[in-house]
Amino acid sequence: MIKSKSSMKRSQTLGHVAFYLGNLIIGIIFVSPLLWMIASSFKPESDIFANMTSIMTFIPTNFTIENYMEVFGRLNIPQVLFNTLSYIAIVLLGDLLFGSLCGYALAKMKFRFRGLILTGVIALMSMPVEAILLPLYIEMAQLGWVNTMMGLTIPFMMNCFSIYMFYSYFLDIPNDLIEAAAIDGCGPIKTFFKIIMPVAKTVYATVFILDFVARWNDFMWPFLITTGENKRTVQLAVQVFFGTQPIHYSAIMAALTLASIPMLIMYIFMQKYYVQGIASTGIKG
Amino acid sequence: MANTEVKAMRRPEYKRGEKMAGSIMSLPAVLLLLAFLVVPIIYTIYYSFFKYQVMRPDSITFHGITNYLKLFGDKDFWVALKNTVYFTVLVVPIQCVLALALAMLVTSKRRGVSIFRTMYFSPQVTSMVVIAILWTILYNSSATTGLINAFLKNMGMGPVDFLNNPKTAMNSIIFMSAWQGAGYQMMIFLAGLNGIPAEQYEAASVDGATKVQQFLYVTIPGLMNTIKYVLMITLIQAMKLFTQPYIMTKGGPQNTTKTLVFYIYEQGFQKGNFGYACTAATIFFIIVVVLSLIVKKLTKTS
Amino acid sequence: MKLKKLLCVGLATVMTMSLTACGNNASSNAVNGDQTGSKASGDTINLTIWSPTDEEPIENWWVEKLAAWNEAHPEIQVSREAIDRSDSYAYENKITTATTSNDLPDILYVDGPNVSYYAANGIIVPMEGAFSEEEMADFMPSTVQQGTYDGQLYAIAGTESSVALFYNKDYLDAAGIQYPSDSDVKDAWTWTEFYNNAEKLTTEDYVGTNIIMDKGEGLIYALGQFWTENNADLISEDGAVADGYVNSDASIATAEYLAKFIQNGYANLDPVKDEFLNGYAATMLGGSWNIADLEKSDMNWGVSYFPVSDDGKASSPTGDWAAAITKNCENVDAAKEFMNWLMSSENIAAYASAIAKPASRTSAYDQMEGWDEGARALMLWQLQNTGTARPSSPSYSVLSTDFASALLNIFSGADAKTEMDNVASDVDENYETYYAE
Repeated sequence: MIKSKSSMKRSQTLGHVAFYLGNLIIGIIFVSPLLWMIASSFKPESDIFANMTSIMTFIPTNFTIENYMEVFGRLNIPQVLFNTLSYIAIVLLGDLLFGSLCGYALAKMKFRFRGLILTGVIALMSMPVEAILLPLYIEMAQLGWVNTMMGLTIPFMMNCFSIYMFYSYFLDIPNDLIEAAAIDGCGPIKTFFKIIMPVAKTVYATVFILDFVARWNDFMWPFLITTGENKRTVQLAVQVFFGTQPIHYSAIMAALTLASIPMLIMYIFMQKYYVQGIASTGIKG
Repeated sequence: MANTEVKAMRRPEYKRGEKMAGSIMSLPAVLLLLAFLVVPIIYTIYYSFFKYQVMRPDSITFHGITNYLKLFGDKDFWVALKNTVYFTVLVVPIQCVLALALAMLVTSKRRGVSIFRTMYFSPQVTSMVVIAILWTILYNSSATTGLINAFLKNMGMGPVDFLNNPKTAMNSIIFMSAWQGAGYQMMIFLAGLNGIPAEQYEAASVDGATKVQQFLYVTIPGLMNTIKYVLMITLIQAMKLFTQPYIMTKGGPQNTTKTLVFYIYEQGFQKGNFGYACTAATIFFIIVVVLSLIVKKLTKTS
Repeated sequence: MKLKKLLCVGLATVMTMSLTACGNNASSNAVNGDQTGSKASGDTINLTIWSPTDEEPIENWWVEKLAAWNEAHPEIQVSREAIDRSDSYAYENKITTATTSNDLPDILYVDGPNVSYYAANGIIVPMEGAFSEEEMADFMPSTVQQGTYDGQLYAIAGTESSVALFYNKDYLDAAGIQYPSDSDVKDAWTWTEFYNNAEKLTTEDYVGTNIIMDKGEGLIYALGQFWTENNADLISEDGAVADGYVNSDASIATAEYLAKFIQNGYANLDPVKDEFLNGYAATMLGGSWNIADLEKSDMNWGVSYFPVSDDGKASSPTGDWAAAITKNCENVDAAKEFMNWLMSSENIAAYASAIAKPASRTSAYDQMEGWDEGARALMLWQLQNTGTARPSSPSYSVLSTDFASALLNIFSGADAKTEMDNVASDVDENYETYYAE
C-alpha cells in the first residue's frame, strides 16, 4: 500500500517535471524569434548578425539603448499611435457592430436573400486582399477618397470572416432567450441590443482581437491610400528604417519590438475571453 | 419538421416584423461587402477582358478572351497553381496536427500554463519581417552562418541549401508556415478540448483504456467539429499564401515557391500587366469560391 | 464587465478624437483648395515632391533647403512628402496606384533604371531646358545616360553610386594572395583571377566572396556589369528587342561564369546580412554605401576595382534615385526652375555630404571632403571612368524582374539557355503588346 502510494506520487512528480520541461523546450523554439528580436534591439548593429550559430545571438553583450533613442528621435510616436488607434477604432466599430448585427440576423431570423447572403459570405471569406488592391484603389479614387480617413477605414470595416464568426456563435444562443424577450414586448432589434449583446462578450472579444491584429499589422493599404508623415500608421513608421542602403537592422529591431509589444500585452490580457470566444464559435464548424 | 412547427407556433406574431428586421440588421454589412469587396471583384473581372498596361489607364483596349487564352497557355500560371495546391495539401494537415499536439500540451490546468500558451501563440504577433529574416538565417546553406546546417554538420550530415534547392524550398516554407500559424489553431483546439466533459475520460479510464486509447476514442470524436472548423480556416488561409515566399525566396528557386497570389501581384504591380493580372485573379476567385463552398458542404453534412 | 466598459470608453474616446482629426483634414483640404484657386489667378504656384523617406541628415536637408527656397520664392511654394519605402517594391507600387487616379505629385523621385519605363508610359515628362549646356556637362556621363530616354532628359539625380571589390586583408594574407591594386585599373582582378582567388579563399569558416546584394534589382544593378564587360548587351540599344541579346551566347556564358561561384560554394546565394563585415566572406562586391560601416568596424579591409574581363575591359555599376517632373504637373516651367536650383552644385554637395554618397556633379566635389583618397576616391574614379548605366527600355520593369529570377534560377542549377530564352520572349512580348507601333 505505502509503496504504491509513494510510487504514484513519484510518477506524478515525474509527470510534472516532464510537463514543464517539455513545454519549456518547445515553448522556447516558438518564442525564439520574439526573443531574438528583442535581444537584437539592444545590440549595436555590428553584433546583430555575428555569432548566429551560438546562443550568444540571444544575449546583448554590448547592451545599448541607442537604437531606441534613434527610434524615438525619428518618429513622432504619440502621433503614430494616435493615427493607428483611431484608424483601428473606426474599422473595429463598424466590424463589431454591423458584423454582429448581420451574423445575428443570419443565424436567428428569416428574411429575403438570407440564404444567398450566407452563401456569399462563406464564398468570399477566402478572398485575398492582395488580389483586389488595385481595383479597390481605383474605386476609392472614383469616390474621391484617396488620402482620406474614409478611404483608409471604410473599405475594411466589414469582412466576411467576422460575420461568419458572429453567425456561428449566435446559432447556439437558445431561442428561449429570444422568445422570452419577445413576450416581454421587445422588438427584434431591441432584443439584440438589450439581451443578446450582453451575453455575447466572448465572441466580441475574439473578433476584436483578430481584427485588431490584422489591422495593426497591415502595411499595404495604409501605404497606398494615404500620403504624408502626419498620417503614418505603426507599420508605415517601421518602414522608415528600411529606407536607405545599407539597411541597419538595429533601429528596425527596436521599432519592431515597440510595434509588437502592444499586441502581446493585449493578447495576454484578453486570452481568457479569446479562448472562450473561439470555443463558442469553433465547435460548431 | 416538428421543430419548425413548434417554433412557428410559439412566436407567430413576430414573423412579419422579423422579416423586415432581419433585412435591416444585415443591410449595413451587406452594403459594405457589396461596395468594397464585390465591386472590386467585378472591376477585376471587367478588366480581365482588356489590354491594360497599369501606367496607362487612358489607353486600355478591349481584348476579348485573349488574356484568358494566353493565361491557359502560360506555363508559369500552371506552375503557380500547382505550387499553391502543393502548399495547401501539405501545410493543412501538418499545421493542424502540430496545433492539436500543442493544444494537448497546454490543456492541463497546471499553474503557469498560460505562459506556455502565450509562447506558442507569440509567432502570431511577431512581425513577419522578423520571422522571415530569422528563418532565412536558420535555413542558411552555410554551416558557419546557418543554425540548422551547423547542427546537421555536428551530426555528420552534409549541408542542405534549404531555400535555394528546388526540392526543398517549398517544404522549408511549409514547415515555417506551419510553425508560425499553429498557435492560432492551437487556441481553437484548446477551446474544443475544454468542451469535452471530464466524465468521458473518467469512464474510459475506469474501463481500463490507455492514454492512447483515450485519445483515439474520447478526444478525437469529441473534437470532430472543431477539427472540421480548423481544417476549413487553415485551408482558406493556405490558399492565400503570399508573404512568406515574397520575403524569403521571391518565388524562386526555379519558380517552386511562386504561388497564385504571388503571380497575380507580380504580373499586376511589378510587370504592369494589369489586365492580364485581373484574368489570373478571376480564375483564382473562381477556384476559391468553389473550394469554399465544397468545404462548407462537406463540413456540414456529417 | 469592467473590460467591456473600458473598451467602450476607449473606443468612444478614440472615435471622437479621430473624427476631429477628420474634421481637421477636411478643413486643410479646403485651404489647399483656396490655394489652387489663387494659383489660377497667378499668385502662387504650389509644387509637391515625393521622395523615399531617408536617413535623418537627408530629412533635415530637405527641411532646411525647402525653407530656404520658399522664403526666397513666395511665388513658387514647394512641399515634400516622404514616402515610407519598404525594402521591396512598395514605393513603385505607390507610384503605380497614384498613376491610375492621377494623384501623382509634381516632382517625383524615381529609381534610376525606371526612368525609361516611366518615360515611355508618359508618367514623367521631358525637362529639356532645365539646365544649361554648361551645367549638363558638369553632371557625370552615367547620370545623364540614366536620366535620358529617347534622346531627351527626363530625370536627373543628385547623387550616384558605385560598386567595387572589398577584401579582408587577413584572409588574403592567410591564403597567400597579393592585395589587388587600388591605384591602377590595369592591375584589377580579372574574371579568372576573381574566380580562382574566390576558390583559394574559401575555407570551412568563410566563403571566398559575396556577390549577391539582394534578390531583386540588386542583381541587374551589380552583376549586370559582367555582361557589359563581356560585350553582351541585355537588350537592343533602343530597348525594343531582347531576343538575340539577353539569350546570346556571350550572355549565357556570363551567367554560367557567375553561377560557378555559387554552385561550387565560393559564394552564398543567401548571404547572411553583413556577411563580409562579420568575417563570413573574404571578399565582397560592395557598394559605396558600405564604406561608412566598414570604417567604423575594426576589420582590416582594403578595396580594389570592380573585376575586369580577361581582356581588360572595365565597367562598374552606377545609378541612384533621380528627380523627374510628372504628367500631373501643371506648372512645368516652375518645376524646371526649382529643379535647376535643387540640383545646383552647392545643394548637391550638401546632400551628398550628409549621407556620404558620391555627388553626381563634378564641381560639387570642390565642396566635399574625403573623396580624394582611399575607397571613396576609387569609387569616384570608377564613376568618372568606367561607370555604365543599366539598360534603358520601356519594358525595363519586366526585364529587371525576369532577369533577376532567371539569374537566381541559373544559380540554383537551372539551364542558362532555357532561362534566358524565357526572359527574351517575355520582354519581347511585353514590348510588342504595349509599345510597338
